[in-house]
Amino acid sequence: MSRILALTRKEFIHLRNDWWLPAFMLLGGLMELVMVAWVTSRPITNLPILVVDYDRSAASREVVTALENTGTFDLRGYADETAVKDAIVRGDINAAVVIPPDFSEQMVNPQDRPQLAVILNGAESIPATEALRSVQGVAYNLNTALVVERLHLPPEQFAGFDFSLRVWFNEALKDAFYTVPAEFGLMLEFVVLLFAALAFTRERELGTLEQLLVMPFSSLELILGKAIPVLAIAYSDFLLMLILIRYVFHLPLRGSLALLLVVAFGYMLVELGKGMVISVVSHTQHQAFLLVMLVGMTDFMFTGYAAPVEGMPVALQWLANLVPAHHWLTILRGVLLKGAGISVLWPNLLGLLVLGIIILTFSLRFVRRALD
Amino acid sequence: MNPVIVSSLTKRFGDFTAVDDISFEVRRGEIFGFLGPNGAGKTTTIRMILGLLAPTAGSVRVLGMDARRETAKIRPRTGYMSQRFSLYNDLTVIQNLRFYGAAYGLGNAQLQERIRAALQLADLEGREHLKTGELSGGWRQRLALGAAILHEPEIIFLDEPTAGVDPLSRRTFWDLLYRLVEEGVTVFVTTHYMDEAEHCHRLAFIRRGQIIALGAPSEIKRHKMRGEVLEIAPENAARAVEVLRTARLEGALPLESVELYGALVHVILPEARKHRKDILRTLQNAHIRVHNMDVIEPSLEDVFIAAMQ
Repeated sequence: MSRILALTRKEFIHLRNDWWLPAFMLLGGLMELVMVAWVTSRPITNLPILVVDYDRSAASREVVTALENTGTFDLRGYADETAVKDAIVRGDINAAVVIPPDFSEQMVNPQDRPQLAVILNGAESIPATEALRSVQGVAYNLNTALVVERLHLPPEQFAGFDFSLRVWFNEALKDAFYTVPAEFGLMLEFVVLLFAALAFTRERELGTLEQLLVMPFSSLELILGKAIPVLAIAYSDFLLMLILIRYVFHLPLRGSLALLLVVAFGYMLVELGKGMVISVVSHTQHQAFLLVMLVGMTDFMFTGYAAPVEGMPVALQWLANLVPAHHWLTILRGVLLKGAGISVLWPNLLGLLVLGIIILTFSLRFVRRALD
Repeated sequence: MNPVIVSSLTKRFGDFTAVDDISFEVRRGEIFGFLGPNGAGKTTTIRMILGLLAPTAGSVRVLGMDARRETAKIRPRTGYMSQRFSLYNDLTVIQNLRFYGAAYGLGNAQLQERIRAALQLADLEGREHLKTGELSGGWRQRLALGAAILHEPEIIFLDEPTAGVDPLSRRTFWDLLYRLVEEGVTVFVTTHYMDEAEHCHRLAFIRRGQIIALGAPSEIKRHKMRGEVLEIAPENAARAVEVLRTARLEGALPLESVELYGALVHVILPEARKHRKDILRTLQNAHIRVHNMDVIEPSLEDVFIAAMQ
């Protein structure tokens, strides 16, 4: 025990001397989280748009005003189709609306089908999707007005299809509710993995590993002495990030805090095991860093952050169950947003537990053998 | 029983045999030198003795225990130091010593006393709070030794302890080793400095994985030396070497070897006194003046150069 403490104390002295490393561990993840949370919690507004108006009528101006009123667009003026093409290629605008010459006439004539053409820059799919949503809203309102008028009814007597939308867990469908917990969970993974991966690689690179190995430390004592600082710093980081998203970005915490705290610790142990394996197979810190990136990026694919796992081929969905980060993020989202407890999350809890036991047993054996 | 017993030790890496069936014993209370050029198998051997590497064949017993299997019992009673990598450069002198002490399980009172002794040994009193990386090579090496013997080990293994250190510091370091031996510590040291080999009680010389000489320096000199050493102080040593080597190749003189030693030339030959005049004449014919010429006691370096040829 006193030997483990001696090693831990030494590690903390290194951390104090090499202050950038713990600073990066603590603040790197925090800053990334702040940026992601801040960017995604703001609605998309002021997308630059150009209008090609061949009609130049009261009706066409009404369409333009309706588009401006959505707040999504920033009208950059009127232009012809060549100018629109240039502007989209240059990236000056994200969308353009083309109003045909006979628009107002067709609006008036009950047999005609008035048309609007919308050009979107699909190379940037997120603003394009947002623009599409706004344009569809405007078109829906125009259509309702047109139908009412053609039926010759007073607007208050018109009753159409009543479509009622209720979004659970994320009432305003904020992107932040989806991206922030994912980013939060991933940051914890990266901090633990990277920090653990440096544990023995650093000593090997300095040449001091040999000395450590001939001292009367057992391999288990070495592992524990190295693991304690990693866990202490990573868990502090986790708590800081949790406070940040809860009180600065006002994400809900609907489930049990205790459950979250326990699962986070268990998940850290699993990633610690993986990091330690990387640490003994790498010859340099550089190599360890690249391996962490490789492992982290692979896990990232299965977290549902970039693309939903449910949309992947069946084989990959199956594979996702073997990735601890997948279960961890499912649990994290469940507890934060849905208020889910053990009764609902048990498959993921079980998955994490089983994977954790397998990974920890393997890595403990592997690292001990490498150190002996 | 001798504290270190190496028997038929072999290590192969694939097709390459790094250590080839070597055997030797280190006696209690002696300085045992392990010599050899780089790549001869020194590091591989010391790693096997320390239990860091499993031998392909043969065995190592340290303090009567198996070096590979009983490490937990051996390590508290042995110390290890390598000049370059023993200490953490970002830790202060006292932090390094405290870490060593705690790692070996020294209690507080004992630790204080041992740290004081180590600081005194390394002559670092009053510099406890300097960063180790800021110390010069000689200080760092003495501190590393102080740290390695903090827990009062019975045997201490030193891997190239004086590499890259100035001659005066090397001298001081060896004085420290003699003090340890007087206290009954057994010292195992690897080096490639021949002058240091002379200071060892006994030594083994390893070359291409095999021991080519084993014993006290004087014994090795007696058994391995074919001929005597003639030291010549000519006007132009480099030219003299050229001339004598030519004479050797032509068979004009019965020389075993001709080596340059700074401004001097060492010639090894049987019955040196008989051939003195011929050698002098050969040099004078080449217009090289000779200031002095003497048969001297061979150094280990002479012996090993002779043995390697």
